[in-house]
Amino acid sequence: MLALAAAGLIAALASGRPELALLSLPFLVFAGAGLILAQEPHLAAEVELDRTRLLEGETVVATVWVRNDGQDRVEVELAPVRSRYLTLEPAGVVAVDLPAGAEARVAFAAHPRRWGAHAVGPLVVHARDPLGVTTWEGRLGRRLHLRAFPREQRLRELVAPVRTRPFLGTHVARARGEGIEFADIRPFQVGDRVRQINWRATARRGAPQVNERHPEHSSDVVLLLDTFEEARDQAGGTLDAAVRAAAGLARAHLARRDRVGLVDFGGTLHWLEPAIGTTQLYRIIDALLASDIAFSYAWRNVDSIPLRVLPPGALVLAISPLLDERSTALVTDLRSRGCDLTVIEVSPLDHIAPGPSAADAVAYELWRLQREALRARLQSLGIGVAVWGRDGTLGPALEGVNAFRRSAQHAVRV
Amino acid sequence: MRLLAEVGLVVLAGIAVAVCVSLLPDARPTRRSRRAAPAPARPDQLVALERLVVSAGTSAVHAHAYLRPLLAEIASRRLAARGQTLERMPDAAARELLGDHLWDLVRPDRPFPEDRHGPGVAPQELRAMLGLLERL
Repeated sequence: MLALAAAGLIAALASGRPELALLSLPFLVFAGAGLILAQEPHLAAEVELDRTRLLEGETVVATVWVRNDGQDRVEVELAPVRSRYLTLEPAGVVAVDLPAGAEARVAFAAHPRRWGAHAVGPLVVHARDPLGVTTWEGRLGRRLHLRAFPREQRLRELVAPVRTRPFLGTHVARARGEGIEFADIRPFQVGDRVRQINWRATARRGAPQVNERHPEHSSDVVLLLDTFEEARDQAGGTLDAAVRAAAGLARAHLARRDRVGLVDFGGTLHWLEPAIGTTQLYRIIDALLASDIAFSYAWRNVDSIPLRVLPPGALVLAISPLLDERSTALVTDLRSRGCDLTVIEVSPLDHIAPGPSAADAVAYELWRLQREALRARLQSLGIGVAVWGRDGTLGPALEGVNAFRRSAQHAVRV
Repeated sequence: MRLLAEVGLVVLAGIAVAVCVSLLPDARPTRRSRRAAPAPARPDQLVALERLVVSAGTSAVHAHAYLRPLLAEIASRRLAARGQTLERMPDAAARELLGDHLWDLVRPDRPFPEDRHGPGVAPQELRAMLGLLERL
């Protein structure tokens, strides 16, 4: 408005015609009236969530209310601030006309596109006076946090550890003792129970023979989450899938009375020492929600990980897209130190398409073969590699790893 | 009198323009529309290979120094699955299995290219080599 008035005055001066100055007079009057009558709006706003915890893919309702405590009518445009992976519906700016003393409520459907700690609010409010001359912009309300837990896969098959802890669990131990799984027959010794006697073998051999069994033990499991790099497309990324796999594995192993720990190995290093129980599951999931790709040039190796996080004999499940040299070096280093190790490769090929040129298509093919060669190199070191694609389930991939570990050719010697 | 009428007309026209301007919608971009969507992450491994395929096509040195170790590693792993090793393969058997071009590139005793500025391995030729490797 003022610009038009100024343009009219300048044009009047330049051309020497007073009519143009008169033409700009209404603009000056209008702008002046607007500025004189303008008052800072007295607005109050708040955001409420119907719940603060949900599974990824679910929807939560964010109710926004805004109240005009002033004496004049105000036109308000409002939009809640949201975190990157949170979608709000309606998506655009919502316009509300608020008479004096009126209150309006707007419901937004908040939909987390992936797991994580999200945030809604505060509100960005843009208000105009009734004449539309002055505007006011500000932020109202609080920032509310929303935790979206990853959708886990139900796992029936798990990687069988080579070593177990002498505590009750569900893994058949290599040692012999009290258990269900049959191991061998041996001659009766003083102290053996009568119920252990194998009467058929005793009758055949003419001397008392007893059954030996494998006890069911638990084990230490360390989940190693590679957060150096990820491949991502519009639908998701390898880190999204890796966190879902880690949460599912943690739940399944804890249900089998294993001690489970977590190492977030990437640009930043975080860890949780192995422990048992439901509390540990929630600790792990909380830690997983905070995991993110942190760019770093720092070279990290196994020495960066505290010793207490990797107990001797622990089964290490490295969940990685195998995109960074540092993570590949880590798994080979762990294996060379005698660690019982399995790599769950979250395939980046599903997230990345070949480039547009013919040379890019050749490069993509070369990349695919290079990754196969890397997998073969890891397997030659005795590391089982389970390849998990976007559309596949993790269970069959873990079965393949167990078959690899059982095979005589690649027997894991720890 | 006429002057007053003209002044009145000009003022009325100005009021009409001011009303029209105030009725125009606010074209100011909102904060949300300025937000850029997160860019897809393309792995450094793949980006490096895309550059390598281009540079190896124009430079014999790049093909020898950077592409050859990569292809040799892939060939070694694939041959190992068949119980063979690249280093101990007879020349005739290797040529039959890998083809002349691929074997000439990955054979262990390949000398450094004499013509440093000569052409390397064209993408079409490399595609054929990868096809051979995949069939191993």
